[in-house]
Amino acid sequence: MKTNRKSDLAKREERTAYKLLLPALIILLLIAIYPLGQVFYTSFTDRQFASGQETEFIGFDNYRRLLSVTVQQLEPLVDEETNQIVIDEETAKVIYERPIDVLPREPIRYREYRQFNLMGNRYVLGATDVDFIDAIKNTLVFTVTSVFLELVLGLGIALVVNSNFKGKGVTRTAMLIPWAVITVVSARMWEWMLAPNRTGMFNMLLDRFGLTEGSIAFLASSSFQLPAMIAVDVWKTTPFMALLLLAGLQTIPDELYEAAAIDGAGPVKQFFSITFPLLKPAMAVALIFRTLDALRVFDVFQVLLGQSEYSMATYNYFQLIGNRNMGLASAIGVIIFIIIFGFAIIYIKSLGVEMDETS
Amino acid sequence: MRPHKTFRQRLLKIGFYFILLIIFIYLLFPFYWAVNSSLKTEAQLQMTPATMVPRDPATGEFAPTLQNYRVVFDNQQFVRGIMNSTIIAFSTTALALVAGSFAAFALGKLRFRGKKPTLYLILAMTMFPQVTVLAGLYAVIRTLSLPALISLILSYMIFTLPFTTWVLTSFFRGLPMALLESAQVDGATPFQTFYKIMLPLTAPALVTTGLLAFIAAWNEYLFALTFTSIEPTARTVPVAIAYFTGAVARQEPFGEIMAAAVLVTVPIVILVLVFQRRIVAGLTAGAVKG
Repeated sequence: MKTNRKSDLAKREERTAYKLLLPALIILLLIAIYPLGQVFYTSFTDRQFASGQETEFIGFDNYRRLLSVTVQQLEPLVDEETNQIVIDEETAKVIYERPIDVLPREPIRYREYRQFNLMGNRYVLGATDVDFIDAIKNTLVFTVTSVFLELVLGLGIALVVNSNFKGKGVTRTAMLIPWAVITVVSARMWEWMLAPNRTGMFNMLLDRFGLTEGSIAFLASSSFQLPAMIAVDVWKTTPFMALLLLAGLQTIPDELYEAAAIDGAGPVKQFFSITFPLLKPAMAVALIFRTLDALRVFDVFQVLLGQSEYSMATYNYFQLIGNRNMGLASAIGVIIFIIIFGFAIIYIKSLGVEMDETS
Repeated sequence: MRPHKTFRQRLLKIGFYFILLIIFIYLLFPFYWAVNSSLKTEAQLQMTPATMVPRDPATGEFAPTLQNYRVVFDNQQFVRGIMNSTIIAFSTTALALVAGSFAAFALGKLRFRGKKPTLYLILAMTMFPQVTVLAGLYAVIRTLSLPALISLILSYMIFTLPFTTWVLTSFFRGLPMALLESAQVDGATPFQTFYKIMLPLTAPALVTTGLLAFIAAWNEYLFALTFTSIEPTARTVPVAIAYFTGAVARQEPFGEIMAAAVLVTVPIVILVLVFQRRIVAGLTAGAVKG
């Protein structure tokens, strides 16, 4: 009788649990799991938005179009009469044949991405979708650089705020302000500070210190675009990094430092033998969060660079909304997913993070 | 020896406060610059070199103006954006808290088969890159022909619901089991136990996760831009600010944009400052183990 009652209770508890889980699971199924399946499936089709055209299954064509790269050697041009290599008279450099002549056109046309020299030969790197290859490169450079800078600056700020001084509370409060600014808003704030003449804060300062003429087009010239994106992101997210690291620092007991000081260890030694190793778990988690976040960067790129330079996410948006090419956009989504997944695996393996707190 | 040491200490102290000053300038200056620019007229904005405070172009005297703020409040798109964002952020928060606390109670306190896989699913979802499902979600929304506001509220569950569930689960788990058992002995159903006894106890965690969900929803741009592309009246604040153009077609009206930027940032900053302890705790919850 007693066991029966108990199993009744257990059954009732189980039923309640399922009922309570149902809303969350239905929502996640509708907005995440089903669309994810849809994206995987659509990535193998040529589906277009709002077109009468029949959708066809095209296998890996979208992926091939996005990711195909080739390296071709460029031959120096030879003068037909003298049989000598043609040299540019002004620059005294060897003239090579045009990349368009060597890059394959079938089945998909390759375009020039970069030229480079290796072992005395000239090569051209061609890609079928130069913009996407560029978007991957931009995103990776952006991610690695900004996350690294955020870690260094965040650690510096966290160490400063963790020491005892008057105004500690105010500083910690100030740290939250960049975090609270909407990303789009911070992008536009920086857009104005980066204005290409002396109405902009940066050009005004550079001019005042006599470093430049004060007319750098930070957002239009290709050598400043990525650094500008990184600067905006670092400003906005360093506080988040600092907060996570600060929380980690506060878990390190003071006794350890006291003991180390008695043993004659200086601040530098204390940092590397106590702070750094004990902060590693917090750093690992902060790094994972920030890296995965940076890999899907959208807001700053979309607002500040639009279609002049892409991140993976803004290229996805452009193909979906601008080109209405749903198949291709889906394939981009899948590629982003795989890249992010890859990073997550690498992190978890190499840092030995224990993500599971439950038993 | 002694004077030398105090000199050294003083130097260290000065160095420390100097670093602190640099940190402060770095964190706050861009926002100051936005406030400064929002108080300038078009003519003052075009002054070269740019001035650190609004100055009269002729006399150089301090001359701020509230003109930009007046224009922003008259801008229908912006005002509608604030309304849309408010509706969306509140609804997202409410839905995430209801569905999330239901799920979290089950995961944190009840025994049932399939608990572990569900937990793993939720945890994996907290890392889910939204951009991956952009195309698929857009297709779902178009198929169901959902209005943009509803589709944004639903799609924001992708990043609010798993996080809310995860944090609340660990909170529920921390509550004593005796509460649940004594309620059961008193004849309460598990659901009654949940909303009469457990839920009031989780109020602090609800506030924390609710705030973070609200801010995340207020901040979101990718889905907002995509799903309002065919329904401009549903644009949220970030989209409105990204598309901000003046009443007259001319150069980008940065004075107005900065005024709008300040207006949408100040409430969030106040919210964050009031609840800073909770927010820091929420941000670090689950991320850092004690």
